[in-house]
Amino acid sequence: MAYSESAWLIPLFPLAAFLLLTAWGRGFRRWAPIVGAAGSLGSLVLSILVMAEGVDYRDRINWIKIDGLSLSLGYEVTHLTSLMLVIVSLVSLLVCVYSAGYMKNDERITVFYGYVSLFVFSMLGLVLSDNMLMLYLFWELVGVCSFLLVGFWYHKPEAKAAAKKAFIVTRIGDAGLLLAVLLLFWYMPNHALDFAGIQNVFHGQSGAVDDGITTLIALLVFMGAVGKSGQFPLHVWLPDAMEGPTPISALIHAATMVAAGVFLIARTFVLFEASPAAMDTVAYVGAFTALFAATIALAQHDVKRILAYSTISQLGYMMLALGVGSMTGAIFHLMTHAFFKALLFLAAGSIIHAAHKQDIRELGGLGSRMRVTSILFGIGALALSGIPPFSGFWSKDAILSAALDHNPVLFVAGLLGALLTSLYMARLYFRVFAGKPSAASEGAHESPAVMLIPMIVLAVLAVVAGFADTPWNEWLSGWLLGGEPSAHDSSSPTVMIVSAAVSLLGLYIGWLAYVKKTIRPASVTEAMPGLSKWLERGYRIDDLFASVIVKPYRMLGTGAKLFDRYVVDGVVRLTAGAASGLGRMTAALQNGQVQTYGIAAVLGLIVIIVVMAGRRFWS
Amino acid sequence: MTIDWPILSLIVFSPLLGAAVLLAMPKQRARMLRWTAIAATLLPLALSVWLYADYDPNRPGDAYEEKAEWINIPLEKSATGIEGTFELHFDYALSLDGLSLPLVLLTTVTAAMAALASTTIRKRWKSYYIWLLILECGMLGVFLARDLLLFFIFFEMTMIPMVFLIGIWGLLDRERAATRFLLYNGLGSALMLIAFVILIMTAGFSLEDAGGVFNYSYSGSYETILSNLADPQAYANMAAPGSVNPLYLSDGMRTALFVMLLIAFGIKLPVFPFHTWMLDVHREAPAPVVMIHSGILLKMGAYGLIRFGIFAFPEEADRFRAVLAVLGVISLLYGAVIAFRHKELRLVLAYSSLSHMGIVLLGLASLNEIGMQGAVFQLVSHGLISALMFLLIGSIYERTGTTNIDELGGLAKAAPFLSGALLIGGLASLGLPGLSGFVGELLALLGLFDTNKTVVSIAVIGIILTAVYVLRAVMATTFGPLKPKLEGITDARFTEALPTAVLLAFVLLLGIYPSFITELMKHSFDSLLNHLNTRVGG
Repeated sequence: MAYSESAWLIPLFPLAAFLLLTAWGRGFRRWAPIVGAAGSLGSLVLSILVMAEGVDYRDRINWIKIDGLSLSLGYEVTHLTSLMLVIVSLVSLLVCVYSAGYMKNDERITVFYGYVSLFVFSMLGLVLSDNMLMLYLFWELVGVCSFLLVGFWYHKPEAKAAAKKAFIVTRIGDAGLLLAVLLLFWYMPNHALDFAGIQNVFHGQSGAVDDGITTLIALLVFMGAVGKSGQFPLHVWLPDAMEGPTPISALIHAATMVAAGVFLIARTFVLFEASPAAMDTVAYVGAFTALFAATIALAQHDVKRILAYSTISQLGYMMLALGVGSMTGAIFHLMTHAFFKALLFLAAGSIIHAAHKQDIRELGGLGSRMRVTSILFGIGALALSGIPPFSGFWSKDAILSAALDHNPVLFVAGLLGALLTSLYMARLYFRVFAGKPSAASEGAHESPAVMLIPMIVLAVLAVVAGFADTPWNEWLSGWLLGGEPSAHDSSSPTVMIVSAAVSLLGLYIGWLAYVKKTIRPASVTEAMPGLSKWLERGYRIDDLFASVIVKPYRMLGTGAKLFDRYVVDGVVRLTAGAASGLGRMTAALQNGQVQTYGIAAVLGLIVIIVVMAGRRFWS
Repeated sequence: MTIDWPILSLIVFSPLLGAAVLLAMPKQRARMLRWTAIAATLLPLALSVWLYADYDPNRPGDAYEEKAEWINIPLEKSATGIEGTFELHFDYALSLDGLSLPLVLLTTVTAAMAALASTTIRKRWKSYYIWLLILECGMLGVFLARDLLLFFIFFEMTMIPMVFLIGIWGLLDRERAATRFLLYNGLGSALMLIAFVILIMTAGFSLEDAGGVFNYSYSGSYETILSNLADPQAYANMAAPGSVNPLYLSDGMRTALFVMLLIAFGIKLPVFPFHTWMLDVHREAPAPVVMIHSGILLKMGAYGLIRFGIFAFPEEADRFRAVLAVLGVISLLYGAVIAFRHKELRLVLAYSSLSHMGIVLLGLASLNEIGMQGAVFQLVSHGLISALMFLLIGSIYERTGTTNIDELGGLAKAAPFLSGALLIGGLASLGLPGLSGFVGELLALLGLFDTNKTVVSIAVIGIILTAVYVLRAVMATTFGPLKPKLEGITDARFTEALPTAVLLAFVLLLGIYPSFITELMKHSFDSLLNHLNTRVGG
């Protein structure tokens, strides 16, 4: 009990690091990585203790109390949250260590570690939140940290645009989440916003909340998740967010924050289970995103953008798992993905650090220059591609078998996505590491140990994490469901064999194309130049939004500005003008000539007489 | 704790004390004048902090009341045929409740910060500071006065210093802006005055039994008017029997009065479409004056609307709640859309004020505790944030000579402190949790959602549009490469950094610990809500 009770301390370590770094400022350069890492380390140690203890605990305090209604702040330790705490603080710690090498020469390294610590605080707070409102609070805070870190190199116009885009696009989802919070507040019995209360009300469909409202709330929550977790059509910010420093891409835009949407749905899973329509929406959007982003990843040239689209695709898999009812599959994949994708990004960072290039057309043959990085990247790629026995295989298998139980269409989509995944990873790996060194690769050298060690830790996890939940050892599912037998995830050997075969096929095609060169990928591009251009631009979704939303909104703004100036203020000026005109007119009457006054008096008298006389007839 | 000295009067008039001292000083001594003026604003600040510490929301009735007979005009009584006295009287009445206190605090804090930030003023320091202090006295009086005439006088008292502050120390087009400000606001005041006179001559009536002899009077007492309006039959019966009851307010008349007050205070708030007057003020007035204007003066509109519109006419407010909500959402979105297209930072912030005041109206339209508290919270929060933003804009203007975003860019490199503060201010403005802007927005929307889901669903679009225009303006100023022309500008000085830090601290405090203010308002809306509940329920 002791550790779970003090779980509220977990986010405070990085918060303290943030405050220290901010107060100390730039004179603190040498110590910044140590302070940052120490914050995450503190959180990690306590998180592991809390998870090992395995006891649920929650507590809360009042935040605002109005008229008997209280909005509270609280923390809740459950099996799900304690697992997330460990994942988040572990990846944070590794990224903090890695950044000591990667960001070494940046003059604002103190600011960098400050922002990272603030992010870790917010993310841990999000995970620990015991109610929707508090989750929303931290949800926004992680968003703003992401914004700050994407725009870390603020002087670069691309970074500035990417940061702004990341904030605004995710805010669209946040608006939905806010509405969901408002709906919950007014429809839940006793205005309860806490997850335990949601669990009680929606579990077993008590009918306390109308079905239509339930679906609406679930869809609005999902809207928030779509924004944060880069699901179609709000995925557009994530590839651009790669403008941020690469360790940030690993931490925020691969392992933790973007998975918050998946975590949110898992946290409110009863709400979704109560609404079949919402579940289907989640499943189809997820499956579509998984497939859609994988096709785009095939046509990208930037190492980080390939990985970004891959992240979108993998998050789609997690959504698919949630939609078909396998919360455990989603969280399992969230965990393995956090490890192997963080590994891939850090390895990509290692490449960029060494070769100062990130376009695969300019890279090549790095395998001989950076042996450790190439092996580590390879492990990550195999895990992502779903090759047994690497971790990605097991978690993807859990998702695919759940999808097959649910709906063959979703299963086929997932399988096709798996093929594309191993294909684009093969393309990425072979183009970067195989062959003769390119000009950029020529001068590359292996990264320092401070960067390699975190990658090695992640690589080990990317290999073994899959064994947390295999058909013969369902430890993770048992842990998450608290001992309830998992109904969905009993994987059939057929699914395993098919998915492994498909992944291997993808690798094989990639090998033929980029190593053996028996297939010429260029011939596809040449045959369909339009298609490949279209894919490269991400189906031109950005252009679509620009012409359908951004431009019309600009025009609306300009129109409103002119309306305000000429119509609203025009009326004001007209009224003022009329008043002063009238003033001038009557002033002209006062010309000092007795004759004018005389005429006015006579006219007035006549009017009075007429009025007086008229009244007799009317009344 | 009971005290025997009139603390409310001290707060209101302590700035005038400073003004009197300034009057005796030689006008060339800039430093001496400045520090005296700053000290003079610290006095009411200290007193209001003391009030905050002493204030107990659970104590029944208003915490502090100060009352003195002020004006007594005997009326001609022969026509009425009554014995006893018949008079028109006005009291000097100040009082403090949970609605006044947050705004008094906002005023004293913001005014002190504006005085600190007035180092950018380059001429005629003596009269500048004197006008500033008179202005503060007027504002404090507005939030504390409980007599219609007294309120009106304080309200007008804020106008005259503003006209001079804009007209003398403003930018190029200052005189036109000052005139426009005076005329437009004068119009609102005229409407308010008409409504007040009608109120005094009807609901202001009271009758006192002095041992068999009845003393009749008309008064501007807020208390009398409120209780008479709440029970119209009882007071109408007090009138001497006759064919026409002069005290009777028909439903149509009540509605008319409410609408007049709505427009009168709506101009000040401002609400669409009565907002254009403030654009010139934002553009032309010197930065510290805009800090006060946008930070405090605009809040007098919302305060007046609550105190004299909604509290006095709950049924009318109830009937007009849809109107309030629609006006609110229009102001919110309209302001946000236009703020997105202006290149002049001052105008971006002016429309941002319009947009944020829309949220206040949304909160008021809820007519429930959560929403009303949200509205008042939003007033305080927006006051602090806009004071902060104009402080920073003043600093930027002083260094770069421009506030046009096309000519700015990359300031984060040259002035990291100013830029960081601007970014935090922007984030507070777009409602980032942890900063004050979020709480007001959340409570207002939460309150209104109970009764008007459609409007709130539309208003939620506002949180996206706000992010769009705020980030555009802030990032255009601070992100990107530093413009070559701006090379070599310096970061904040102490007299800028201190008020920035203080305002930021309050923004953060209210964001993290909103009970700092909401606890004060615990019982402020009790009588209103009880009244509405019995009317609607019974």
